Amino acid sequence: MNNTIQISNLRRVYKSHIGAFRRKLKVVEAVKDISFEVEPGELFGVLGPNGAGKTTTVKMLTTLLIPTSGTATILGYDVVKQADAIRPRIGFIFGGERGLYWRLSGIDNLRYFSALYQIDPEISKKRIPQLLELVGLTDRASEKVEGYSRGMKQRLHIARTLLNDPEVLFLDEPSIGLDPVAARDIRGVVRDMREQKKTILLTTHYMFEADELCRRIAVINHGKIIALDTPANLKRFVQDLAVVEFQVKTLTPQTLERLKALPIVDAVSVEEREQNSLVVVQSPRGAEAVPDLLAQFNGASIQKVSVREPTLEDAYVRLVNQADEPEVSLS
Amino acid sequence: MFLKYTRAVFAAFKMSYLSLVMDGFFIFATLLMPLIYALIAFGLLRDKGANYGIYVAIGSGLAGLWSTLLFGSGNAITSERWTGTLENIAALPTPLWVIVFGKTLASTMQSLLSMIASYLLGWLVFGYPLGIAQPLEFFVVLSVGIVSFVAFGLMLAPAFLLNPQIQQFQNAMEYPVYILCGFLFPVALLPFWTTPFSYILSPFWTARALQSAAGGTLTLDQLGVDCAMILLLGVIYLGIAALLFRIVLHKARVDATLGLQ
Repeated sequence: MNNTIQISNLRRVYKSHIGAFRRKLKVVEAVKDISFEVEPGELFGVLGPNGAGKTTTVKMLTTLLIPTSGTATILGYDVVKQADAIRPRIGFIFGGERGLYWRLSGIDNLRYFSALYQIDPEISKKRIPQLLELVGLTDRASEKVEGYSRGMKQRLHIARTLLNDPEVLFLDEPSIGLDPVAARDIRGVVRDMREQKKTILLTTHYMFEADELCRRIAVINHGKIIALDTPANLKRFVQDLAVVEFQVKTLTPQTLERLKALPIVDAVSVEEREQNSLVVVQSPRGAEAVPDLLAQFNGASIQKVSVREPTLEDAYVRLVNQADEPEVSLS
Repeated sequence: MFLKYTRAVFAAFKMSYLSLVMDGFFIFATLLMPLIYALIAFGLLRDKGANYGIYVAIGSGLAGLWSTLLFGSGNAITSERWTGTLENIAALPTPLWVIVFGKTLASTMQSLLSMIASYLLGWLVFGYPLGIAQPLEFFVVLSVGIVSFVAFGLMLAPAFLLNPQIQQFQNAMEYPVYILCGFLFPVALLPFWTTPFSYILSPFWTARALQSAAGGTLTLDQLGVDCAMILLLGVIYLGIAALLFRIVLHKARVDATLGLQ
């Protein structure tokens, strides 16, 4: 079976100069020798923290950046040598509000991009209202984009990317910065696309999103793929662990250091909340570890302690914590 | 090829025009700058006779056209970069130069107003007889001249893809064209060695033919030669622009300069 996306040893280096007089060359290797393939109709997830190389990978696959080395093909076409053949067949969005013409209305944005995609005007006339309906913007279509909420702009981006009925979709953090309802709407549209058997590459750092939508997930950190499997198999990576969560009023860096230093602790992460911090500790000893862990808080005000089964997020935290630091060289 | 992209050019033209009319700077470049140039030139040349009135009106109008075009072609790229749309349109089936052509055409059409403003100023304030002696020929030359003018500006746009900082040098590009194309004074006053440079600039042929048509001295032979030169140079400019766009876009994909840095 021919893969829709085929990446082999892909690498991308950014070079820039710093300093005004004695200029130094700064070299950052954003993507380091990654390889994977995406099958036709598959929804493939790429997970990773900020700066992991997700967007750089998507930009290379969408013909916006040229790889430093390695090869990538989309539908059998090389992203460097056959970019013109790829462009009419793909759609892509990058998370955030930019990338639209704010002074124009939503429908005028779609009409404009439709003309640039060279879609037959008769097809455009039918497709644009259908897409506006799909993303729930029919009633606001003639309003200027500058008055749209972030979620509406993101939905308009999705409509834009579907204008050419693409065979392959690249969605780079489509739900970033959206409120839970808007993010759920976006996931609903992505699910519809999956049911239409479109091949989708989705990057995100929301675990539940990847868990819910993707058939397979590549975890990427510091430009390297550190794991690639189905969500169920990735979760097995932490099946030997249990997760203990502490809801703490005030958390000090020393407490975190003490927790990390314990031999019974595999990984520690912190989720800052409005009223408190949630300290998530992965330990093979589970509930048995609670007394030892509690002792590290030195009497800090702990509001709640709970023990639960590990999730995909816990697998992700364990994988990312094991990855190396980024390599930046100055010459 | 041109027919294939007609709809894209028109779409870019329409989108750009809608955006431009709401931009304060373009009102300045389109109406106020040519008025200032015309005011200075009319004042300096008011004792030179009525023919100078036409010369100045056309020259300052074309100067305004060139300023708008120069800034418009650069802005066509930089504004897209700032709004985050450059990456979206750079990876579309329509080549980027076609989109920039449509956008630049919109700013050029808008700057035609600057020519009309110069005409009205000469007529109302200085009382020059500004009637166009050969209106049909004038219209024909103006039409082909604008397309060629846009193609000329299009050759400069790729530089903005490579380096966003290049905008600082836009001003330096204004006066050489004013002078070499005879917008503000006849090129006969320039040293002989500059003539070949004037000849390879289509605005020179446009200004020459427009001035003759306005003054009623445009012969059929001159119309044929001037229009042929305008069109020939326009096609050459378009070919060079398309090639430069391709080369520079490839380099922008290597250097990662399509997005904001």
